[in-house]
Amino acid sequence: MNQVHRHVLATLLLGSIALQTAAQETLKIGAIVTLSGPGSPWGQAMKNAAELAADKVNAGGGLEVAGKKYKVELVPYDDKYQAGEAVTVANRLVFEDKVKYIIGPTGSAPTLAVQPVTEKNQVITVTLGFTNKALGADKPFSFRPVVTTLEFAEPQIAWMVKTLGIKKAGGLFPNDESGQVIARDLELAYKKAGAELAAKEFFERDRVDFVPLLTRMLARGIDTIELDGNAPGTAGLIAKQARELGFKGKIVRTGGPATAEIINVAGKDAAEGMFAHAVLDPALPSTRAYTDAYMAKYKAVPNGFSPSFYDFTNMLFEAMRRAGTVTDTAKVRTELEKLKDFPGALGKLNWTGKANYGVDHQLAVPFYIAEIKNGVEVIRARCTVSDGCN
Amino acid sequence: MDWNLLLGQATVNGLIVGLLYLLMAVGFTLVFGVMRMVNFAHGEFYMLGGFVAYALVVKLAVPFLLAVALSFVITTVIGSLLEWLILKPLRKDELNGMIVTIGLALILQNLALMMFGADPVSLPSIAVGTSTLLGVAVANSRLYVVAFAIVVLALLYVFLRHSRMGRGLRAVVEDSETASIQGVRARFYYPLGFGIGVGLAAVGGALMAPLFSVSPFMGQTPLLKAFMVVILGGLGSIPGAAIAGLCLGLLESYSSLFLSSSTADMLIFVLVIVGMLAFPRGLIGRGEA
Repeated sequence: MNQVHRHVLATLLLGSIALQTAAQETLKIGAIVTLSGPGSPWGQAMKNAAELAADKVNAGGGLEVAGKKYKVELVPYDDKYQAGEAVTVANRLVFEDKVKYIIGPTGSAPTLAVQPVTEKNQVITVTLGFTNKALGADKPFSFRPVVTTLEFAEPQIAWMVKTLGIKKAGGLFPNDESGQVIARDLELAYKKAGAELAAKEFFERDRVDFVPLLTRMLARGIDTIELDGNAPGTAGLIAKQARELGFKGKIVRTGGPATAEIINVAGKDAAEGMFAHAVLDPALPSTRAYTDAYMAKYKAVPNGFSPSFYDFTNMLFEAMRRAGTVTDTAKVRTELEKLKDFPGALGKLNWTGKANYGVDHQLAVPFYIAEIKNGVEVIRARCTVSDGCN
Repeated sequence: MDWNLLLGQATVNGLIVGLLYLLMAVGFTLVFGVMRMVNFAHGEFYMLGGFVAYALVVKLAVPFLLAVALSFVITTVIGSLLEWLILKPLRKDELNGMIVTIGLALILQNLALMMFGADPVSLPSIAVGTSTLLGVAVANSRLYVVAFAIVVLALLYVFLRHSRMGRGLRAVVEDSETASIQGVRARFYYPLGFGIGVGLAAVGGALMAPLFSVSPFMGQTPLLKAFMVVILGGLGSIPGAAIAGLCLGLLESYSSLFLSSSTADMLIFVLVIVGMLAFPRGLIGRGEA
């Protein structure tokens, strides 16, 4: 907050009959999130998470840092999941709104596009983008509170191969950058676990008839179909058509919360017995408390990624308290990195990522393997990044 | 790998997909025949058929067959009204008519987006299990769809050949001025032709809804395929569209059996281009455009 702003605020308070005894300042937190188009469920979940965290500190009289109380205010902008749009709003946030903290961006491409601006101006950002380039030793102000394929594929597949006895898996992947990368990562993970990804096929994203591809894949004698890498609706179609062709083996999905959509498209019967990656344990009291608060305010079930951003925003507040400043982001970042066993909605949270990214800016949130029973997820294994699944 | 089995499977799959293209293309070419207008909103009527079937089957528990029939009736009525209200001044005005249908397509897509949301929805399978036909396993739900599609096409054939209305419609397709001189009331047949054309697309959408899924943007790929089929078969020619539709379905199925799917997609377009060069007027076409 600059001097002029402070004077104006003080004058206003003196001029009016001030009811409050202490002057409350405003701390602006920016958000670059996707609020329109196909990515909007994620962006909305991020924005709402930060809002809930802000509501919580504001309800307690504001965020107290170095004896001063700040009212936290969120300034959200829509990036439409586009890199160009994200850069425009990042410039507006950094140079006009003068924010020092940004929730987002939502996507990988927007994240990589805004980092030159945010890193240079020492603005702390937190992304949902799964790209491994989002974090790095040369990007000291970038963080990520959700685990990506790089973190969860290996432990999850190791557990599934061991417990379900998978030997030959097959997968259909979209023919683009993300599909190719996921297919490659999964192939390695299956191999490491002692099984193989024996068949993989790539297709154009608008495809709806998978019978020809499945026919060819099933002819190779696979015992498991892997659905990772596909949009939720597409994954549902693949499961449905495989079952229609008489496939009796297992169907698994290593990654991405998509169970509700898969059941919608494939139907309860085709999805029965499917093993899926899950990001939330609805039985955990702290997670349930978050879900209830979210439903009370927004009248909708939060996306699985939402609690991660709520926890991160709270960690950011804690780091500001410990650093004793809201403006010196280098200090805040150091305190943020130092947080250990932070009690969040998702459980106890710690940083990881040195091995993969060269910097511990990846939040090690727990994840789960669920079996779909009668249309609902039943947790079968609890996993952490460090200890794997059991 | 058992090649005979795979080939048989591919043939059956190809015929099923070909029938879908056929339903789309016959309606598309009928509209073109009557209006001399490329209907870019054709895919959206396919989507409309899917959503009508979804609403009837899932929300109102109507039996599937009845839902398909109702989706045809509802879409035919909506199509006729749209023709009468919006396209009437643009009959025979190819370019402006085309632009209006593009606008119509966008409006219908976004209406569906507002009403049903972006997430794909699905109908329950009409049948479970598989049957074995000449040693080839085919999902029962697909066999039903094939049977329904054949029935629809047979009904269309009888209607166009033997009913008074169908003959009138064919006369307008052939030459609307001469038909008018002979006492055929063209102003009645324009909305009817458009309505039946898009109604056929809706039947396609409704029949495919339990196999695939229903979403606001589902009509775009079938429109592209119908366009290819109609051009290959000869614009305005129904038998041409029939042959080209089945050929395209089989071609796609065989090529994705032997080649990786992206190579197969490419090959199909190469063959379409070659086909166009070899038969510039289409397989059975009058070469009008």
